[in-house]
Amino acid sequence: MFGLPLLTIVSVGGTVLIILIALIFWGLNFKESPA
Amino acid sequence: MIDPVAAGLVAIYCIAMLAIGVWASRKIQNISDYVVAGRSLDFWVFTMLMIGAVCSGMSLLGVSGLGFKYAWPTIWEQIAVPLSISFCIIFFGVKMWTVAKKSGYITVQDYLAQRYESQQTLRGLSAVSGIVVSMIYLAGQYTAISIVLMWLFGLPHWLALLIGAAIVTAYTVIGGLYAVAWASLVQGIILIVGVIIMAPIVIMAAGGFTNINEVMASVNPTNVDPWVTGAGAVFTPTYIFSFFLLLTIGLACAPHVINNILCVKDVKYFKWTPLIAFVVYGAVMFLLKFAGFAGIVLVKDGMITLPQVKNASDFIFVYGVQAALPSIALWGIFAVIVLAAVMSTTDRLMLTIGTYFAWDIYKKILKPDADDKKVLFVNKISVVMAAVVTLLLAINPPDMLVWLIWAGIGIMFATFAVPLLAGLYWRRATRQGAMAAMGLGLAASLFFGGLSYFKIDLFPMAFHFSFYAFVISVIAMIAVSYLTPPHDEKVLDETLTGWYIQKS
Repeated sequence: MFGLPLLTIVSVGGTVLIILIALIFWGLNFKESPA
Repeated sequence: MIDPVAAGLVAIYCIAMLAIGVWASRKIQNISDYVVAGRSLDFWVFTMLMIGAVCSGMSLLGVSGLGFKYAWPTIWEQIAVPLSISFCIIFFGVKMWTVAKKSGYITVQDYLAQRYESQQTLRGLSAVSGIVVSMIYLAGQYTAISIVLMWLFGLPHWLALLIGAAIVTAYTVIGGLYAVAWASLVQGIILIVGVIIMAPIVIMAAGGFTNINEVMASVNPTNVDPWVTGAGAVFTPTYIFSFFLLLTIGLACAPHVINNILCVKDVKYFKWTPLIAFVVYGAVMFLLKFAGFAGIVLVKDGMITLPQVKNASDFIFVYGVQAALPSIALWGIFAVIVLAAVMSTTDRLMLTIGTYFAWDIYKKILKPDADDKKVLFVNKISVVMAAVVTLLLAINPPDMLVWLIWAGIGIMFATFAVPLLAGLYWRRATRQGAMAAMGLGLAASLFFGGLSYFKIDLFPMAFHFSFYAFVISVIAMIAVSYLTPPHDEKVLDETLTGWYIQKS
């Protein structure tokens, strides 16, 4: 796909996806009034 | 001959920046207004300030340049750099903002001084290190200004530097962080919109994304791999791992980035800024890298010929735009985009240097009885001095400076990351440990950076040089902290020290 090896798509795409999920998780669980 | 439309566009941009400086100057009543904008930045101004601080001119040109030189194995840079903003907010920002608001911090040194109970020694060491590293980084930024103005207007190097520096200095001196932040908002919009329009044009001129990858693979199959292995390979998995850490954590704790945390109006902005900054800046970074890949095709097809200079790859985006766009007036827009990227970092660096000197050294160490007005004056003078000194260095950079600019982020990573992270999250971390971590981290980064840059083969370096210095800094922090008495529990509670980000 896109002239790229599967390894490149999976490793780069997978890393971006994991980070996005982690940052969404952070946003959803952020408490607005810390100590 | 200078194209009047291109010159007009650049002139309008520069006048707009000066107008922001004049407008911002009216809001400044005291040193807090000047340095942290009275802790009044709202969501988008703060988000753009963070993006602007991280997105330097050399990263704009250098990202494409690195992609052109080493292809897909460099793609991790596009993830790590935007992630540094998220890292800074999540791991430093939430906790530090809360303590800063309560204790009235205006620099990160205020935090270090309270946490490590060292109002002079650690504050001074950190401030001096921050000033030196920021000045080196600043001198590097001027190179990008020069590249653009020399290319577009054929100006001599010294004149290009002088014009760029004069404008940034003017609005930074008069408007302080209000000017820097609002200028960053404008610059950020210009940068994002500009790259989203310009980069695809360059990519299409090279036959589109898929064609670029196919051509790159035909030149060298490893060009489209996520990493490379074997003798002589640079972007190996171990190197990429350390490069990722360096960019994510090193930029997050860079003085001109982390201090922005203290300017935010409300902690609730930290909820979604990490995601939005990552997505927005990530998109810009990926497009810039793909434009660098397109350069490989454009050079192969003979559509562009790079200049015969040492840093020729840094010109790839500039020359790619020139080949893809027919109008000189559009080049003017491109010049404004690059200038916006350069200035958004340059202004923040200058203000950081000025503040570190005026607040942390002059007010807190040399003249504790100096009043607000005097400190503000010293701050402004320091910004001008920072501009003059770095300009002189950048006009004819000595070889040592070229090396230091290259090593800049690595030095920040090895010097500041451990004292900050240990200070926030480890109650056993002590003043002596922090000083050892900072001092040895700095010394080790200079040593290993020297080995790497001058290709001195003392031992095979599988990781980026800064990683070795970082490890030494960690070891120094742990060993020295355990050998020295812990801090008072009351101080640790006041500074929210502990193994948590937010106290539940």
